[in-house]
Amino acid sequence: MNWNLIRKTISDRWRGTAVYAGGLVAYVLMLAALFPSVQKVGTFKKAYMKDLPEGLIKFFNLQKFDVTSFDSYMTLQFLGLLWVIVMAAFAISFARNMVAGEIQDGTLELLLAQPVARWKVMTSEGAVLLGGIIGLVATTVVSTFAFGAAFGVKLSYSGYLAFLPLGIALAAAIAGYSVLLSAVMREPRRVAMAASGLTLFFYLLHFGGMYSKVLEKFDWFGIFHYYNPQKVLSSGGVPARDVLVLLAFAAVFFAAALLFFQRRDIAV
Amino acid sequence: MKSVILAESLSKHYGKVVGVEGLDLEVEEGEAFGFLGPNGAGKTTTIRCLMGLLKPTAGRATVLGLETWAQSVGVRELVGYLPGETALYGRLTGEATIRFIANFNNHPPEDGFELASRLGLVLDRRVSGYSKGMKRKLAIVLALMKKPPVLIMDEPTNGLDPLVQLTLYDLLNEHREGGATLLFSSHNLPEVERICDRVGIIREGSLVTTERIEDLRSVRLRNVEIIFAGQVPDGLESLPGVSDLEVQAGNRVQLKLKGEIDPLIKRVARYEVADFSVGHASLEDVFLEFYGSDEGSGG
Repeated sequence: MNWNLIRKTISDRWRGTAVYAGGLVAYVLMLAALFPSVQKVGTFKKAYMKDLPEGLIKFFNLQKFDVTSFDSYMTLQFLGLLWVIVMAAFAISFARNMVAGEIQDGTLELLLAQPVARWKVMTSEGAVLLGGIIGLVATTVVSTFAFGAAFGVKLSYSGYLAFLPLGIALAAAIAGYSVLLSAVMREPRRVAMAASGLTLFFYLLHFGGMYSKVLEKFDWFGIFHYYNPQKVLSSGGVPARDVLVLLAFAAVFFAAALLFFQRRDIAV
Repeated sequence: MKSVILAESLSKHYGKVVGVEGLDLEVEEGEAFGFLGPNGAGKTTTIRCLMGLLKPTAGRATVLGLETWAQSVGVRELVGYLPGETALYGRLTGEATIRFIANFNNHPPEDGFELASRLGLVLDRRVSGYSKGMKRKLAIVLALMKKPPVLIMDEPTNGLDPLVQLTLYDLLNEHREGGATLLFSSHNLPEVERICDRVGIIREGSLVTTERIEDLRSVRLRNVEIIFAGQVPDGLESLPGVSDLEVQAGNRVQLKLKGEIDPLIKRVARYEVADFSVGHASLEDVFLEFYGSDEGSGG
């Protein structure tokens, strides 16, 4: 890695990352502030659960869903979908600017005219991306602890700590294929579209697996097969196999990106 | 003399499109070599191959003995590079840009600040607020500040006003006096005449010729004007190498002469001559000679 480049990348990206972090904190604050009221509504559970599709309940592992539980509420309102969208948006927008963005801006030619190896360029920027992911997942967990305590909400501390590696691994996997697409494609806009499309495909594959036996057979192929926040929050244990598989996804895609970037012609 | 830049049968294809084909090039230590040709001729492709930005399809290129693709990091330690298109980080100020690039090269940024001062470049402003000319100046500073033994520049005066061009010529000459080797591409012919020792003319991806500047000017092409005491004799246009013959006022003739001048002198000597002048053809004429007038204006 190259510290000069890491410093520059942090300086370029910290504002954007701070905006994501601020959004996460604000949303957790809203959920924690609203939760005591939600909890008090006695009819809520019945009405809410009645309206949910069976597949959705299965998808979020909410068979034992209890709206009086903050952890179930967090999974349904945040960690099951919205949080994933935010983290995917962060990883994809960061990755699209790594190679494809620099090629489009022409700055990659300036960078690669300096005595720095291509793999160092990519690993330096990749390290900042991973740092951003870790920071955002930690922000989610810490803000949940803080606002949970502030609003007197009972929550599973061990569950959220166990969610930390799972959340990081999921976002790293999304970042992995986004970086690969950035290394392969020329236009950042296309990178963003392809990475978003792939993420949606994995999500729908998992969702479809709830209904279709055929799709269920392929569910293991997608990243969301290995992401079950409700299970982690309720058990409080780190799902080591799921985390490792997601990290393997990330590592394979990132290695492929490195390999491609190492051999790629840089013509602006 | 030691070869600093060497290309042997260098080819680069983009799919079916030929960027460069079988290019042989040798630039010696301390030499200034001009790479001349219109857009799309293969100048930038060759330069990018030399910088390790493009992987050659065939052949090889070395800079100071280092393979430009396999040992590109080593090459880039030794080369100051100015790309044809100026692309910089808009968020950084000029000063921060110099510091950022200087850090890669373990070189103090002060040399960059001094160069910027000579070029009249303000450094405390964000690059996004720079004009095209200011960005070009900053890119020149970035290429020169580490005092590299080899300079590779793609159309260096592109976007610079004439006064700054003169400053750049001074800087390049100072750099050469320090022993640096220079290769730069251009379609600005007076610029090449001013700076280079040798010039290579590239056409459709192949090096058409490599000549010393003086040789190109003095041997190959001449502009000849003859004033005869009487009428211009017939048959001058049939002499070897004579072209573009134009008779004015009955006794004055202007022509271009390519190659040996002796046959023309011997023929003219048969008549009474009032005046005879020979001018060295400009590189513009040389350029047109190689490309043909319909292709030479591509820039």
